[in-house]
Order: sequence, then structure tokens, then C-alpha cells
Amino acid sequence: MALAPGRMIAAMLVLSPVPALWAQTAMPDHAVAEPTQPGEQKATPHRSPAPKNAYVYLGWPNDGEIIRSTRFRVWFGTRNFGVCPAGFDRPNTGHHHLLIDVPLPPLDQPIPHDKNHLHFGAGQTETVLELPPGKHTLQLLMGDADHVPHDPPVLSRRISVTVRAD
Amino acid sequence: MFVKLSRAMLSACAILTLAGTLAFSSPEVRAQHSSMPPNARVYFIWPQDGQVVGSKFWVRMGLSGAGVAPAGVEYPNTGHHHLLIDTDLPSLTEAIPHDKNHLHFGAGQTEAQLELPPGTHTLQLLLGDAAHFPHDPPLMSKKITITVRS
Ligand SMILES: [Cu+2]
Ligand SMILES: [Cu+2]
Repeated sequence: MALAPGRMIAAMLVLSPVPALWAQTAMPDHAVAEPTQPGEQKATPHRSPAPKNAYVYLGWPNDGEIIRSTRFRVWFGTRNFGVCPAGFDRPNTGHHHLLIDVPLPPLDQPIPHDKNHLHFGAGQTETVLELPPGKHTLQLLMGDADHVPHDPPVLSRRISVTVRAD
Repeated sequence: MFVKLSRAMLSACAILTLAGTLAFSSPEVRAQHSSMPPNARVYFIWPQDGQVVGSKFWVRMGLSGAGVAPAGVEYPNTGHHHLLIDTDLPSLTEAIPHDKNHLHFGAGQTEAQLELPPGTHTLQLLLGDAAHFPHDPPLMSKKITITVRS
């Protein structure tokens, strides 16, 4: 288990030319918490290229689905693109992020890390979600080794589902 | 360069880890296969057993309770998909063969477009680790039979 973090940090260090920049941009929580001065430019991290035909979609549920349970499985479809855990810079790969009830975040910054932006940094291609009854939106967005969307971004349509109590 | 950076910038703990990595990749210790959580499962999302398909079709490979990683990426509880076509399981203690009956998705793909001649074919998924070895215990799907329309 100790192997992963060590290698991940090493990979990130190799990737980022300026470690100080990495420290600033790779911690979305800090980036959100620290108020930026008006007019201050946020550093733009490197964006990994993605092939134009790469695409990602929600395999299930479908748009408009009525889900008869507050706990359900979601699977991620990925075409012409590969899946790779966070921290490893491999061409034409990324890891999935599931955006729940939020619009797209800025595409030139690391994807936020909170309950509306789930990171699947261990290379997962499906998950089990638990959502309160009601209407929800779901959207997938791929991120690279540093959780930054690709260029062009690889993202799914934003779908709406209705969750009914069990 | 990777090695140098790790040594210079990481703690003693990381160096130990590195030593472990090197030992792991040497052939005599390769008998130790990568492990997987007991609830991990690999399966076909599509097609399903008994399905009739056109000559060119997409295969969707499902993995639950574990992650996908490209070949060569050593990360706990991950692997890459292998699609076995019209063949039995290979040896589970050696690297998975690489030929037209054993397709490797070493770039971390979870879908593949297949083109097969008309008739009945079998498909089975087998997960392999960074070095294309099955895990211990091995993670494989049911062997399914499909019919390709002429
Ligand atoms: Cu991420
Ligand atoms: Cu392989």
C-alpha cells in the first residue's frame, strides 16, 4: 500500500516543472478556500491533449431515468480513450469525475474535490451512488494525472434523473 | 530519471518502497502475483451470453470493486482487460499470450470494436496486472457464447 502514494508523488513531481506551482494548483480545496484578489490571475496548469474522437458517457442511468432506489449503480462508458489512476501521466488516458447537481467547473483548473465532484482516481469505471429522493443531474468529466480536464475536454452530456424513495 | 527524483525528493519510506518495486519486477519474485479485493468482479456489460450481433460490434468491459490501469502502471487493486476470443483460459501463472485470440487492452480501454466472421464465438474477459499476469486469485468473467450474423 505504501507503494502507491510514493510513486504518485514522484509522478506528479516529474510532471510539474515548478513544484511550488504544483502545490498551489493540485489542492483544489485550498484554491477554493483562498479568496483571490480581484484581477489576480490563477495559474493555468498544463492540460493534457485528448484525441478528438475520445468520448465518455453515462452507461447507466439514462437521461430521464426514474430510479426506484436511493442507492444505485452508475457505470461509466469510455470510447477511444483509456482509464488510468490519478498521478500517472499516460497519453490518451484519464480518470472519471462524476459531477452531481452542479454545472461544469472551469476546464483549465483542477476539478474541485467535494460531494458534488467525485473523483475516481483509482481507475474505477463504475460506482454505487446514494442520493436523496428528487431530481438530480449527473455528468462525467475526465481529468488527467493532475485532475485537470483534457484539451479538448472529454465529457458526457449532463443528464437528469429522478430518484424515488425505496 | 524517475528513480533519481524519487530518491532525492522522497523520504526513507519511499526509498524502501522503491526497493520493493525493483524486487517485485525481477523475474524470480514474479511468482508473487498482484492481489485484488475479494469483491472485485469482471464481466461483460455488452454483449450478453447468447446474444446475436452484427459482424462489427462494440464490446463493453465491466469491472466492479477494482480499477483500470494501463499496462506498466503499478497501482494497487487495478489491472487491464484482456479479451479471449474462441479460446480457453491461458495459464494463470504466466503472462497472458498476445495474439489474435488474446487481445490486450493495455492502454486502459474499457470498450473495443470487434469484427468477427459469421458463426458462433466464445468471449471471455481476464484481467491482467501491470506485467500482463493474471491476479491472484485471477479475475475473469464467465465465458459467453455469441452468434455473429452473416
Ligand atoms: Cu481527479
Ligand atoms: Cu496485457
